[in-house]
Amino acid sequence: MIHAWDWPYLTADGPGPGFFPLWIGICITALASVLVVLQLVHAAGQSPVAATKWSGAGRVLAGWAGLMVCIALLEPAGFVASFLLLAVFLVMVIFRRGFLPALILGASASAGFWVLFVKLLKVQLPAGPWGF
Amino acid sequence: MEIIANLMNGFAVALDPLNLVWCFLGVFFGTVVGILPGLGPSATVALLLPLAAQMNPTGGMIMMAGIYYGAKYGGSTTSILLNVPGESASVVTCIDGFEMAKNGRAGPALGIAAISSFVAGTIGVLLLMLVAPPVAEFALRFGPPEYFALMALGLSMVVLLAGKSLIKALISMFIGLWLATIGIDMFTDGERYTFDTVELMDGVNFVVVAIGTFAIGEVLANLISTSGGQMFEVPKGVRNLMPNWQDLKDSRFAFVNGSLVGFFVGVLPGAGSTIASFVSYGIEKAVSRRPEKFGTGVVEGVAAPEAANNSETGGALVPLLTLGIPGSATTAILLAALIMWGMRPGPLLIQDYPEMFWGLVASMYIGNVMLLILNLPLVPVFAQILRLPAYVLYPLILGVSIIGVYSVDHRLFDCWLVGVFGLLGYLMRKLEYPAAPLILGLVLGDLMENAVRQSLMMSRGDVSILYSRPLAAVMLVLTVLVLVGPMFRRFEIWRLKAAEQDV
Repeated sequence: MIHAWDWPYLTADGPGPGFFPLWIGICITALASVLVVLQLVHAAGQSPVAATKWSGAGRVLAGWAGLMVCIALLEPAGFVASFLLLAVFLVMVIFRRGFLPALILGASASAGFWVLFVKLLKVQLPAGPWGF
Repeated sequence: MEIIANLMNGFAVALDPLNLVWCFLGVFFGTVVGILPGLGPSATVALLLPLAAQMNPTGGMIMMAGIYYGAKYGGSTTSILLNVPGESASVVTCIDGFEMAKNGRAGPALGIAAISSFVAGTIGVLLLMLVAPPVAEFALRFGPPEYFALMALGLSMVVLLAGKSLIKALISMFIGLWLATIGIDMFTDGERYTFDTVELMDGVNFVVVAIGTFAIGEVLANLISTSGGQMFEVPKGVRNLMPNWQDLKDSRFAFVNGSLVGFFVGVLPGAGSTIASFVSYGIEKAVSRRPEKFGTGVVEGVAAPEAANNSETGGALVPLLTLGIPGSATTAILLAALIMWGMRPGPLLIQDYPEMFWGLVASMYIGNVMLLILNLPLVPVFAQILRLPAYVLYPLILGVSIIGVYSVDHRLFDCWLVGVFGLLGYLMRKLEYPAAPLILGLVLGDLMENAVRQSLMMSRGDVSILYSRPLAAVMLVLTVLVLVGPMFRRFEIWRLKAAEQDV
């Protein structure tokens, strides 16, 4: 909404670039306010956040961090190496399996993806210093 | 009688051995392209354009149209099995399709998707053959105010996608509408919410948001368990992996609903299969005897959007072949191909090139049968994917997601975005915000804003243009009915409860 204020609301030709974003912002704010009020009125003490179970959120965040590291490595290391690392990380750290099954899965999956998408379907994927 | 004679001539063309080969290659490549997220039919048709230029026009059109409708068959597979929608129209299939897979009914879901695609594809071709010229003329009466009303009707489907909280669904939809405003404003060339980032100037691609919130969000939400065992139950025996008689019976209305909605929305240039799939799902839920079960894995929740998605192909070919107006990226490439062969798409195309038009129509009947024969036996094979343990399947889903997103524009930025939307998808699941309205808002937001602004430019700021034209007024009344309907239903439930308490 703050950004939308800076753009013309109306122009000589009709609604300007600020017209839609401003109304969308107003609607989101109004709906969020209604949600808060309803929560305060109906739930005596329990907010939706408090009622939500967050057990295991640490593991979810770890998995997400692994994914983001994989994405960060895509250009310097290439898809095959970065996905191999992600698969090993997920299998070993998140699912607590041994190193060997993690390595077998990671290597076969990343090689399979490379053959299917890059070689057979000619899909362009980030390549590392080794050419894959 | 003339139509039947023309169709017979068309079959004579389509059954030519070489044309049968082109048809098979088209539907086969289309299915493969549809299964893999990110590789759209438009890109594949564009890649094959130089090859098609060397072919005769009829063979070329048969092959390229085969890719177009074949991709729609394949699009449901990853949506049902992995919750990975490869295109925006498949998002609706995820809602009940993936739930069916979770309930051990992946096979029937895939089977019903194939059958509804076949039924709707055939109905779409039938309608293309029978009503093409008058319907195309009707579609020309759609100006910006009518498009605004159509988009409003599409957005009103949020009521039917809402789940437990309508307010949360509306917030989700408005966030989608906001995402649609990101990028360069087409009317003023100004930047909106780009934060000086070059990659955001083109806006946010729906594939990125859909894969992030659906596929990666689902994977993250399931990382809370360390077991890593088999995710979902897959029943043994081919019989249990196919839809049963009850599934077909439950889907019979969905086949018709999806086919008609898909065709008529498809005729409108720019409307696309996404709005058709959302609207048909909404209608199906609205008329269902068990609307409360939608979202938990009901078979008609898969049949309706899949039928709409496939019937839309027949509809989209109407303005292309009769008026020379492409309604989507793929039909725009088909238009380029027609021009490349020296044809002039327009009202005289059917008259001037009957062999090409009727050959194409007949090949679409044959192509739909080929697709059913190709896809149904593969259902038990695809369903086995769910036998993989979670520690194998989840990394694979993440890999397919990264490849799918990267292959759209070959930008690393999209991979970062998909990670962000993945976390958002996880949070939305935890806080019970439905993700489908977000996609609905994102896909329709741009079209709706353009329609409103063009309408108000036409009327020089007079808002009455949005509701004063008859077609727009009818659709807006329908929109209001869809929005207000559940309130009456809730009031009735409350009234009955109050009456019972009084007794």
